[in-house]
Amino acid sequence: MHPSIRNAFPYIALAGLFSALAWAVSFGTLPPADFSFHNGDEVKTVDPALAYGQPEHRVLTAMFEGLYREWPIGYEMDEQGNVISEPEPDENGNYPVGSAPGMAESHELSEDGRVYTFHMRPGVKWSDGSPLTAHDFVWSWRRTLHPETAAVYGYQLWYLLGAKKYTEGRVEVGDLVEIEMPNRPRADQPFPRGDIHRAKLLGIARPREVRPPENASDEDKEALKATWRSGWVYIVDHAAGDTESDSEPTKIAAYSKNIVAGDWQKYDTEWLDGKKPASLPNKPEKCKQLLLDFESSVGVKAPDASTLVVTLENRTPFFIDLTAFYPLYPVNRACVEQYGNPNWTRPDNLVTNGAYTMEFRRVRDRMRLIKNPAYWDADRVKLEIVDAMAVKSATTALNMYLTGQLEWVTDVPASVIPDLIARPEKDFIPTPVLIIYFYRLNTTRPPLDDVHLRRALNLAMDKQLICEKVTQGGQMPARSIVPPGLPGYNSPLCGEFDVEAARAELAKSKYAKLPGGIPKIEITYNDNDTHRAIAEVIQQMWKNNLGINVDLKSLEWTSYLDAQHTMQYSVCRAGWVPDYPDANTFIDMWLTGGGNNETGWSNAKYDALVKQAAEEPDPDERLRRMEEAEAILMDELPIVPIYYYTGKNLVSPKVKGFFHNALEKYPIQLMRIEE
Amino acid sequence: MGGVVGFLLRRACWVVITLWIVYTASFILMRNVPGGPFDSERKLPAEIQKNIEARYNLDQPLLTQYFDHLGNILFRGDFGPSFRMTDFTVNQVIAQGFPVSASMGIFAITFAIVLGTLSGIVSAVRRHSVWDVSFMTAATLGIAVPNFVLASLAIVVFVFQLQWFPAAGWGSLRQIILPALCLGAPYAGYIARLTRTGMLEVLGRDYIRTAYAKGLGERRVVMRHALRGALLPVVSYLGPATAGILTGSLVLEQIFALPGMGSHFVEAASQRDYPLALGMVMIYTCLLLFMNTMVDLSYAMIDPRVKIETQ
Amino acid sequence: MAVPQAPSKPTLDASGAEQYARLLEEARGIQGVSLWQDAWRRLQRNRIAMGSLYFIAAVSVLAILVPVLPLQSPLDKDLRDRKNLPPERETVRLGSRDELRFAGNSLAGELGEYEAMLDELQQQVALATGDERIDLQQRLELTRINRDPLRKLWNNPGPIVRGMLRLRVALFGDWCIPSLFGTDDLGRDVLSRVCWGARVSLVVGVVATLVSLAIGVSYGAIAGYCGGWIDEAMMRFVDILYSIPFIFVVIFLLAILGAEDRKQWLEERGINQLVIFYVVIGAFYWLTMARVVRGQVISLKTEQFVEAARVIGAGRTRIIFRHLIPNVLGIVIVYLTLTIPAVMLFESFLSFLGLGVQPPDVSWGLLVNEGTQVITPIKIYWWQVVFSGMTLAMTLFSLNFLGDGLRDALDPRMKNR
Repeated sequence: MHPSIRNAFPYIALAGLFSALAWAVSFGTLPPADFSFHNGDEVKTVDPALAYGQPEHRVLTAMFEGLYREWPIGYEMDEQGNVISEPEPDENGNYPVGSAPGMAESHELSEDGRVYTFHMRPGVKWSDGSPLTAHDFVWSWRRTLHPETAAVYGYQLWYLLGAKKYTEGRVEVGDLVEIEMPNRPRADQPFPRGDIHRAKLLGIARPREVRPPENASDEDKEALKATWRSGWVYIVDHAAGDTESDSEPTKIAAYSKNIVAGDWQKYDTEWLDGKKPASLPNKPEKCKQLLLDFESSVGVKAPDASTLVVTLENRTPFFIDLTAFYPLYPVNRACVEQYGNPNWTRPDNLVTNGAYTMEFRRVRDRMRLIKNPAYWDADRVKLEIVDAMAVKSATTALNMYLTGQLEWVTDVPASVIPDLIARPEKDFIPTPVLIIYFYRLNTTRPPLDDVHLRRALNLAMDKQLICEKVTQGGQMPARSIVPPGLPGYNSPLCGEFDVEAARAELAKSKYAKLPGGIPKIEITYNDNDTHRAIAEVIQQMWKNNLGINVDLKSLEWTSYLDAQHTMQYSVCRAGWVPDYPDANTFIDMWLTGGGNNETGWSNAKYDALVKQAAEEPDPDERLRRMEEAEAILMDELPIVPIYYYTGKNLVSPKVKGFFHNALEKYPIQLMRIEE
Repeated sequence: MGGVVGFLLRRACWVVITLWIVYTASFILMRNVPGGPFDSERKLPAEIQKNIEARYNLDQPLLTQYFDHLGNILFRGDFGPSFRMTDFTVNQVIAQGFPVSASMGIFAITFAIVLGTLSGIVSAVRRHSVWDVSFMTAATLGIAVPNFVLASLAIVVFVFQLQWFPAAGWGSLRQIILPALCLGAPYAGYIARLTRTGMLEVLGRDYIRTAYAKGLGERRVVMRHALRGALLPVVSYLGPATAGILTGSLVLEQIFALPGMGSHFVEAASQRDYPLALGMVMIYTCLLLFMNTMVDLSYAMIDPRVKIETQ
Repeated sequence: MAVPQAPSKPTLDASGAEQYARLLEEARGIQGVSLWQDAWRRLQRNRIAMGSLYFIAAVSVLAILVPVLPLQSPLDKDLRDRKNLPPERETVRLGSRDELRFAGNSLAGELGEYEAMLDELQQQVALATGDERIDLQQRLELTRINRDPLRKLWNNPGPIVRGMLRLRVALFGDWCIPSLFGTDDLGRDVLSRVCWGARVSLVVGVVATLVSLAIGVSYGAIAGYCGGWIDEAMMRFVDILYSIPFIFVVIFLLAILGAEDRKQWLEERGINQLVIFYVVIGAFYWLTMARVVRGQVISLKTEQFVEAARVIGAGRTRIIFRHLIPNVLGIVIVYLTLTIPAVMLFESFLSFLGLGVQPPDVSWGLLVNEGTQVITPIKIYWWQVVFSGMTLAMTLFSLNFLGDGLRDALDPRMKNR
């Protein structure tokens, strides 16, 4: 090492340090937003088809708009956006919220309640100025339902005729099918797609299934099965269908997603009506996807640019509200096809149809929304620049609110709630929302397989105390799984806190007399201050009131989900946010083997009642069936309801047009700032 | 200079091997953790779950996934899409988070070095004085108080009582200072103690006595002669400290709502965002190895006795 | 200052076994006394280090004695009447909360009743025969599990802790030290929680450090002694482990080991969550230790006493574990006192992330984290963070200073200073 370098070293090091410092300081400052709000966790995606969760909901409803839009009932404005009439809050401080026409101007409903005809609003445009038509909805919903889009909330569209079958990729002989050729312009993108042929499915030829080795894991078996299925050969008749492409294929053709060596004609083949066509091609052609034909078989059609006809499987009373929900929002076809997924969601590329567009986005910092001048109702949108801040910690959000960095905080720490409620500004009003906090009990595990013990656990829980002293936000102790506030529905209730009754139930339990006493119970929860405090308090209640030994187990989020999904728990904390404002979303999850049941509970009578309710045309009768079903649930208690959540919105007094409601729908386009 | 080149080449080889092993170990570990990246509160219908897995190649055999992903990193520098933040690729997430972490880290380190060495020197030169005791007490407190406690207290004092700084957020210089101070505090404490120890040792050496004997003033002796030797332990500490600052910052990122990389670390791990977690691990490891190499190099530059060839 | 003389080397020409033995004896005697005594003397002169030592000793003794002290229950939550109380001087009777339904509204009363019930049952068991006897035995067992009042106020006390708690009831009855540190958000006594937290925190610190010590010292010693490619490979492995972000691995390891089936498997073997926690942390703090020990061993292995051992015919293992490791003890102790605070700090960091000690166990990290949750500009329950924070900081502080003091004391270069 040369001595001169060595002598210079301290200076080099210092120079490096200073240049680094200069670089660190050089970040420019942002112009301030009109309105900043606490959006919780980072938004996972702004693709309406792929999104799920509250933070996504808030920004998506600001940027996109469905056929209908979320709207407080009785809120009216004149052309300039001056308020004509405001709704009145109920005794809890909640405002009624429903749906108002958005991209559609109006709709008609058929006699049987299954066919909706929407009339598009004339002159609606995308933010790039191009017109928005009924075809955009057909294409967007098709994209959401397409199996390769893999939309988490895709099942919100499964009310549509044939939609579920389309997503699952199931086809039967005799169906009209769409065959996508493997000539996609972009191999990795489901959209834009390759050429589509439409045809009638005449037969399915299935190769012999390879038997999995004895010791194969479930995953391996699944994978083997998938490979086998991809080798199926589909025989179709083109003459019965249409084609989108110019090339004229032969009438009878065979397709397969995966060409396997060997003579496919020797396969075990299922033919339509048992009739085998006279001549068959020697080799099947390779295709990318073979799905149920969307255009003919799925219940959404656009006869012209201004009309959208939607056909449902069953009568669905809440469908209009669903059209205001983000999985049913349209996306811009040109934008998606030009940039592909996920690049079309980048701020520079994103084309929206709602009140706002995205100016820029910084991960875990903020998403800046600016008013969309092309929005049809833009005159009545008052806030020009809105920042959705990704702030995870509620304490930090509170600090930011108190120093004027935020105008709306969506969650506050439980420990300060009493002091917030007492503030003279009256800026914190907790109102009930349709969310339930409950404990799942694993009914396949002793001692929770005993109904008396489960009842005893419920009776021994002082939910009032938990609400008053732990959660503190005006939550209501819960005695049913369906929260109150759904019109026409009256929940049957489970037993109230009563130590003597609890002990009497416990004495009836088969475990009370068992050697070794009642097996240990363990409460599993995901780590969070409130969940931990509640679990500790319930542990003490069960210990003191019933003398049951209770352990606590906290898991980080994904382990907790996994423990719940695989039923590796005995008691597990849970919450349920409804997908739509209807009792059914709380009721149908407890069906035998239901995906979200996760308690192992099963009751044939319950299943029958829920099924009856689904088929019941009379709305009132439908609710009665569900009430009967819930009565069974609240008697057998595979779950213990604990409390109904309240919304914890801290809203600056200068924000107007903010309407507390039970569905937590807060359209930003209604908000305005008045000093 | 040949020695340096050889040294760097050998080091580069070693870095590649280390990175590969770290990658493989993380991959294996991650795939054995319960839960998957697409678990959500409501269980997805099996068909949709399958479609999602197909979309992200998770239906492939593990070994195929391993080689595919490794290949993409090696040949295209592409860590793939983030599974949880689906609008972004891992590279984009890192590109956005790194500058934030880096600038906060630089501030914190600068603060730690300046404050740490100064108080260390003063403590050593004025040994057993009031200065010494109070500096060392402060330094040890900096090490002994968890930084989330420090940050919470700092917010109450500096944000709400004195109103010097904004509560949280990112974008202006004022918003960096408070988190950087909290982040740097334990390192300042450590550096102060290291400097003091190193200084005390050097001050007893013959060449310092010689310098004094030559009639040089105290300031000159300390700054010109003693400091250089005393800084060696500090320099070697800076390597691991940088890595620590990167992960340590996650607490402060949460408290001050900063969009740095630290929070991705824990989030990606706990949400099973495999590509992002791997990306974070690789970045961390790269930075650590880079810093260690820099430390070794500067070691040789500061101390004439250290020969770089001998690693 | 009197510098102990190095023992003169026994010369081979010294005739007579007796004389040789005497010399050896003498040499051993001098060496044994000099190193540690000298260090001790030097440590004693360091007032801060000695203060720290006393403080740590006091905290440790207190932590051991906690069950005997007249503290309130660290678990019993009185949400109705004792939520977020500031420090007060009014005392509380143990077991007087109504919901506990203790006989005479006191622990002593309930304990008396419980024991009477047990006695009666035991007598019945002694008298009964056949099926009845089995039934009664089962009832006895059930009563032990479900009726025991000590289980309601303390978290699954083991036999020793139970004995101590009984002693506490015998000594102090239902009297408790008042909530001098206030109460927390769920109405528990903070003083009692801080004291019980000391047990967990110190044990986490010490056990995790001992785990790291066991791994680090043997690993470093083996690498250092064997040298050559073994050393190279082993140290490269340490380098690699150094470059894996530690927090990432801890999250995954805790998740993997926390999965129900694995957890059950471990629990059947007496390994609970807390033990897993110690081991996982300990498994990561050995790296520095290994490096340091290796360095020392390399410099020691060419010394004559090792040569001598080898000449006598001692095996590799014996040389490493009997001769080399005792000689690196000094530096190991120094690192020990510095690792304990690091581990304790790490524990509090994990608590911040929600991965730390699980309730109803309490640790300082958990308490401090709970305390910072209630520091908001709206309202500051200062007592919930100040006391736990202070004890944690003081302990870490003392451990750090003690470590420094020990290093100075054991450092041969400091000998004449």
